[in-house]
Amino acid sequence: MDAKVIVFGETAIDRLVQWLRATGQPQDIMDLVRQYLEILSKAVREENE
Amino acid sequence: MTAAPTLPADQQRLAEDIYRLMVAQGAMFAMDTPIRQTLASLAAFLARREGRDRAELEAAIDLALSADSRFTREVVDGEVRFVTTRQGAYVPREDADTHSFKQRLHDPEHPLPIDDISVVVSTSRPAITTVEPVYISDYWQVQLAAAPVEPEPEAVTAPEAPAPVAEPVLEEVPLTPEAAPAPVEEVAPEPAPVVPEIPAPAPVVEAPAPVVAPAPRPAQPPRSTVFTLSDGTAIDLRRPVDEIMAEYGDLLAQVLAERLERDPLQRIVSFGRKYYPEANLASFGKNDLRKIRDYILERNEPLLDTEIIADLYYHNPRQADYEGFRFSLNYRLHREKDFEFVGVEGAYLWATRGLTITSGKRVKAAEMGQITSYLVEGYDDSSELQSVEAVRQSGSVTRLLTFFEWEYGVLPLDAGLAALLPPPLLPDQRTAVLRFESPQHYTTYLVEVRFPAGNRGGWLQGLEEFFREHVAPGALITITRTGEPNVFHIVYEEGPEQTERLLTFDEKKNRFAFANVSFYCVVDEEQLPTQSRYGRLNRLKAFPMGERRKAELMLEHVSETIGDQVGTPAAPRYAVTLDDLYVAFNVLRPGSRAYLKALLERGEDFSADESTPGLYYYAPAPRASAGEVEEEEDEALEERPPLRQRYGRYDEDE
Repeated sequence: MDAKVIVFGETAIDRLVQWLRATGQPQDIMDLVRQYLEILSKAVREENE
Repeated sequence: MTAAPTLPADQQRLAEDIYRLMVAQGAMFAMDTPIRQTLASLAAFLARREGRDRAELEAAIDLALSADSRFTREVVDGEVRFVTTRQGAYVPREDADTHSFKQRLHDPEHPLPIDDISVVVSTSRPAITTVEPVYISDYWQVQLAAAPVEPEPEAVTAPEAPAPVAEPVLEEVPLTPEAAPAPVEEVAPEPAPVVPEIPAPAPVVEAPAPVVAPAPRPAQPPRSTVFTLSDGTAIDLRRPVDEIMAEYGDLLAQVLAERLERDPLQRIVSFGRKYYPEANLASFGKNDLRKIRDYILERNEPLLDTEIIADLYYHNPRQADYEGFRFSLNYRLHREKDFEFVGVEGAYLWATRGLTITSGKRVKAAEMGQITSYLVEGYDDSSELQSVEAVRQSGSVTRLLTFFEWEYGVLPLDAGLAALLPPPLLPDQRTAVLRFESPQHYTTYLVEVRFPAGNRGGWLQGLEEFFREHVAPGALITITRTGEPNVFHIVYEEGPEQTERLLTFDEKKNRFAFANVSFYCVVDEEQLPTQSRYGRLNRLKAFPMGERRKAELMLEHVSETIGDQVGTPAAPRYAVTLDDLYVAFNVLRPGSRAYLKALLERGEDFSADESTPGLYYYAPAPRASAGEVEEEEDEALEERPPLRQRYGRYDEDE
């Protein structure tokens, strides 16, 4: 994924929802941001590799 | 069905016999379903039936069936098997779906030329989001992938004419239009004649090679790893996540929270700082809500979410879904107008409509918000005595009690108290309920914190009983945090019994008076409203709260009442010190020294004594005659609303 097209809070939000559902617990906003960054970083890295 | 082959008669008979046997065995099979039998089984069966030698028969069967086209011989793990079907020779089925309906539907048989592939395939977000994924066939995806190369078709067709030039051009063929500017247009008019000549000489045969060569596109530049937020903040995703969180964590949290809030599908919902998938929420029906409301009213105090869950739903915190259930409850109650969240971080308390949180409401919330507005206007000087940092570190705040605070059990939510008490958890939260414990008397009080909103100040209420029973105006009280986020200790310095004639407010007669009061606490003598020191305070008019919002009017009245008359009867002039003004002003309403100073400086009728710091003069403008004044006073008394009953209903005040 080209990071230029990322809209923070919209892009790949489905994956964040999946992760949140998998945890089964309510998560703090900071944990949510951290995980979302992980997802975006992974998406960008995969594309470049 | 295939016909039996021509074989020696006995072999033919044997093969026919076995075919009938196997077809009978697979009578219920589909026509093309394979029917298998091992050579050993066939030989054993026929040897027993016909009384022949098994080994001899096995050889005969193998010979006969191998020669018969209806049978297929296969060897599995050294074992010979014969396969046939009801329709004759076995032909393995081919499941390759090369022309499915789905493919025919999406892949055009004769696609028309397309100028803009985005007309067919759009990667942009649709205006109305749909949950269902849109199927895009491989055909169009291939077209989409090839789309960026299409805009430069001329560069590819151009070099086909001059064959010798082809080789050197191989490296320059890049698809940029600048690479083939003038020559392209010159050669372009005669491409047709060149193509028919290709079959003749050898050099021409080589011509297509360079044309094909441009296919390997120039290596794409590495994609960007930097994304930009709406405010222009650029963040490089190659950096470690911890580093990004340390630098932009709060900003990203804010942006993400806003986006999730605006998500039309509401896939992730929040309560406070917690987020949870909407699809995982437990459902609460009307009966649940009624049950919860009744229980809160029965207990007659705000209840923790954990209490509600334990008492009404018997959920155990050790259950795996406990936190999800708890979140669902809080989220649902927050959306119901019959419930009000009055908790803080770490203690989620819920009140409901009709619940009286604190005992008395002698001051309306709207009036109190305006009376304490000086705190949000920048006249909060509480940090001069104890800095905000010191309060945060020590976890306690100490303050002197004024008459108004003592009388009404109200404490303005100044910077010191705000630093000590937890902030609102929800953005629209108006109130939090805290529990104040008195370790000296083993009593507990529910205290309602009203948070500042807009140009209205905040305050605490609910300490009326504690103040009136245990301390006096001018007492030094200390409020301290405990291990529980919603529980605080309130203490005062105890002292020997003292009996003084103190200012009191006779609510029945609606006037101030001095009365003998005994107390057992240490007080600041300067702040104690005794008759000996502040004898004129009983002349203060007990204005209705609506009037007390007008700070200028109150200041003038107070100055006139307690000030020393240093003028003439025709042109009165009152001298009053700031300290006395502070005590007297705080009888009628709360106000900081900084606020009083600002009022004194702003007031046209006030002037400071240049020689004596802290001394002010009040020279009121000439008034109407005494008769007119009396008439005005009578009118004012008539207009004054009847006394409100103490411990009025919460709903009435709201």
